[in-house]
This record gives sequence, C-alpha cells and structure tokens, in this order.
Amino acid sequence: MTGPNILMRDLLVLLAFTGWCLALPHYGSEFEVSMALTCLMYVALSSSWGLFCGSTRYLSLATSAFFGIGAYTSALTLDSLPWLASIALGAALAMGIAVVMGAAVLHLRGTYFAVLTFGMTELIRHAVTYFEKKVTGTVGRVLTVVPERDTIYLTVLALAVLAVLVSIVVRRSRFGLALAGIGADEQRAQTLGVNTRLVKILGFALTAGFAGAVGAAMAVRWTYIDPHTVFNPFIGFQTVLIALIGGAMTLWGPLIAAIVFSILAETLRLQAPQVYMMSLGLLLILSVLYLPGGLASLRWSTVGGWWRNRERSHG
Amino acid sequence: MADAHSPLLLDARDITVRFGGLVAVDQVSASFRAGELVGIIGPNGAGKTTFFNAISGVIPPTSGQLLAGGQNLSGKGPHRYAAAGIARTFQTPRVFPDMTVHANIDFGLQFAGRQREGSWHLRDAVSILELIGLAHLAELPAGAITPSQQRLLEIGMALATRPRLLLLDEVAAGLTEAEVESMAQLIRRMRDELDLAVVWIEHAVTTLMRHVERVLVLHQGRKIADAPPSEVVRNAEVIEAYLGDEMVDDAGVSA
Repeated sequence: MTGPNILMRDLLVLLAFTGWCLALPHYGSEFEVSMALTCLMYVALSSSWGLFCGSTRYLSLATSAFFGIGAYTSALTLDSLPWLASIALGAALAMGIAVVMGAAVLHLRGTYFAVLTFGMTELIRHAVTYFEKKVTGTVGRVLTVVPERDTIYLTVLALAVLAVLVSIVVRRSRFGLALAGIGADEQRAQTLGVNTRLVKILGFALTAGFAGAVGAAMAVRWTYIDPHTVFNPFIGFQTVLIALIGGAMTLWGPLIAAIVFSILAETLRLQAPQVYMMSLGLLLILSVLYLPGGLASLRWSTVGGWWRNRERSHG
Repeated sequence: MADAHSPLLLDARDITVRFGGLVAVDQVSASFRAGELVGIIGPNGAGKTTFFNAISGVIPPTSGQLLAGGQNLSGKGPHRYAAAGIARTFQTPRVFPDMTVHANIDFGLQFAGRQREGSWHLRDAVSILELIGLAHLAELPAGAITPSQQRLLEIGMALATRPRLLLLDEVAAGLTEAEVESMAQLIRRMRDELDLAVVWIEHAVTTLMRHVERVLVLHQGRKIADAPPSEVVRNAEVIEAYLGDEMVDDAGVSA
C-alpha cells in the first residue's frame, strides 16, 4: 500500500479536504465554522497521536499535558510575541517536556506506559495549578490580545493538514519503518539495527509538538483559560478514542473519526449530553469488537463478512 | 576455513548472567573468528540461549566483557551489536507478521545492513530471498507462511543486516529430517559463500556435530569443553554431562 499511485491518491484527498476547509469560513455560519474548528483540532491531535502511538502501540494519555503546555505558553507570551512565534514556542516547550518524559517512561510498555503518561499529565496539571495559586496568585488567565477568528481557524487547519502530511511522509521514510518495527516486535527491530530508544523519543516528541501547537492556537479561542480547561484529561482521552475508533494504524482513520465525532458531539451534546457520552462508549466497544482496524478499515467486504458469519451461525 | 590468524570477530570474556539467585551463565569465555562454523550444545537449561542473548546485547551480562572488532560493547543495546556485524535469530521465529516477506527482509537492509557493503548474495532483498529459497513468497504477509518458512525468513532477516557473525538459535528444531539436512546445507553455504562466521545452537546434536568444526559444550551455565567434535565426543566430562554412550557411537562413526 505504498506505491506511487497511493501517494498521489493520498495527496489529492488531502488537497480536496484542504480546499473544502479553506472555503468553509466564506459561506458557513458561525456555528459551522466553530464546529469545523473543533473537528480540525481533533484531526491534528489524533493524526499526530496515531503517527507515533498507533504505529508503535505505545498508548500515550499525555496529549492533554502537551495541549495545556501549549495553551499556557501562548496565554503568557501572546502580548509580547507574534502569533506564529507563540505557537512555535508552545510546540517547542511541549517537545522539550516530551523528551524528558519519554526518556523516563518509554522503556515501559502497555498499561504501565499508559498509566504513567496519565499520571504525569495530572502531575503537570496540579503543578501548574499550585504555581498559579501560590506564586502568581491567579486561578486562570484572561487573554486580552486575541487574533481574529479566521486566523485561529487557518492556523488550526494548517496544523491539521501538516499532521496528515507529516504522517504521509513518515510512513514512507526509514523513521516510519522503524516505528512500525517497534510496534510489531521492538526487540527484533533492535537486533536488526534500530536505535529504538532514540526513535521512540523522537516520535513521542513529534506527537507532543503537534499537541503543543494545537493547544497554543486553541487557547485564544476560549479567551479565559485555567488548568482545568486546558489540562482537561478528556482532551487526551478523546484524542485516543478518535484515533482508535478511526484506526490508529491508518492514515485517514483519525481524520474520518474526528469528523464523525465532531458531528456527533455538536448535534447531541446540546440536546442530550448523556446520549453523546453513551454513543462514544458504544462506538468504541463496537469498533474494538468488530472493527479492530478502525473505521478506516471498513470495506463493503467487511460488511459482507459479518453477513456471512450471521448466516453461518444461524444455519 | 578459519585458523588462528583469521580476524577475531567477537571476544566474550568471563560472561556471567544472573537472574536473581540463579546463575544462568557462569564465567563463560569464548572467541569467534572470521569464517568459523561453531556449534554450541548442552542439555536443556544449560544456558545456551542466555549466552546468545548476552553476546547479542539482548540481555546485559551481569559481569564480563564483550569485545567486537576492537570496540567494547558490554552493556550496549542490541542495535550496537547489529551495527558491529553481529546478527542473530530467535528460537521462535520473530518475523513482523503484518509486513510482507519482502518487507521483512528489507527491514534489516534499511538499518544495520545499510552501513556495510555485503557479499554479492546479500545485495538486495530479492537476492537474499533467492538464497533462502523464499522468492516465490515475497508478496505474502510473513504471518501467512508456514512455521518452517518463517524460520528461513528469520535467517534471511538476520542476513539482511549484512553480518560478519551470525548466531543461529535452534534453527533446525521441529523440522523434518530432510528439512534439517537442507538447513545444514544452507548454513554451510552461508559460511562458505557469504564470508560469514556462524555460531549454531542445536538440540539435534548428531547433525550439528557432522557439520561444525568446533563445539562449545555448556553444562549448568559453565563451559565444559571447547574443541573439535572428534575430541568433544571423547571428553569424559561431556559424556557424563550430556551425550551418553549412544551418542558417542553415533558421532564416532560419522566423524
């Protein structure tokens, strides 16, 4: 699945998606643009999460830590730095933290890794809360310098497109091959010459960089941030859920699932918030049971397969 | 053929591996020279595989030194061993099941194999597939081929790192007699044509003894013999520990 034709197809789909998203602010309502923004945020978060965590099967729950770091960075620097510089700084800081965190926990696998990344996220959240209370004496921060709606939208769109583009490039590179080898059998990859420690730390930092940049860009949308909103573990969980339901190993899965989620979220959350959470859970259970490769692996033949199984079990 | 003047590829000095209170490998020293074909035998639990794990970097030895081509690799990760030209296979084939057979071979070429010019037979994935006889399965996922084909693939993956020293861990276990013989032929061919030193662990002692030039015998973690097969089968300690009278007769006739 890596021939030149597939590359062309992927690039064309990405181009069409970008074009459609670029046009949206010109004809869409305020509500639609805001919904698209949330959607793009999750496209960027889940695609970049899948890039490392999907291919290596290191399930990281630290997305909200990097998101929060990015958000605080732009909240603190936006009145002294240009918009893009704040975002780059948010990404850089998140990557820095990811390198330290990765060096400490990336030798652990499975549940231990997942739980520790979650623990560290909580640690960072409480450390920031403590610092704000005791040292700076604030609970949250009000953002006074806020760019226009379209600037935020275009930045998040650029990040989402960049995340997919980086995924396309990485999948075709030696770095991507090393990540896939780590996911399949880490020790075997090592004995074939992969410096797995280095590759994992770089991959983790790359994912974190995207989350940091997205956090930095999204902070201004809320105009008021506090640790509970930007380090909200739900951002991390939802990123993981979207990637898993869409297919974390696939290129387009996270994007498809992000769109499905945003539509579900916006249509259900207001009228029936419990139904929204329930349908998330149900979708996850169904995809794990019947579609382990995620929504992106869904084909007509898959549906045909279920049908045949059903008939067989009845007959 | 190797002699005392061939370059030293790997020098293991007083390697000890301890798991808690258990001494799995007890001060084993061994050196391997270019072009050698060496066998390692020993009863179950003698520490053969643990010794392999130690000299390929998969587990760090508790004490002892590992020198490869003038570098001290003690305590380094497996990728450093692969880079130094030491490749290994695992007892249970550990292929990448979702990748194609071709991609499995290509993996080694992309990493450790990239740094070296290999022999003509190791020039690309197709030539390696032809060498191990799996060219017709190139496009299948590695998880879909038979276990004995996976075992050949496992060897091919190791060859793709273009090694100077190849460590084979029970590659003939569970094969039929005919398959064992063709595996032995492949091993000899790799040594002769690819300019490799091969270290071969095997349970099927008789086959192994027929093909190797030197045997290391491990017993309860210690090395009790390191000599040509004809001498090893006459070594009293070896006979007592492992071989039994029956085996001496067998090997004596063929040696």
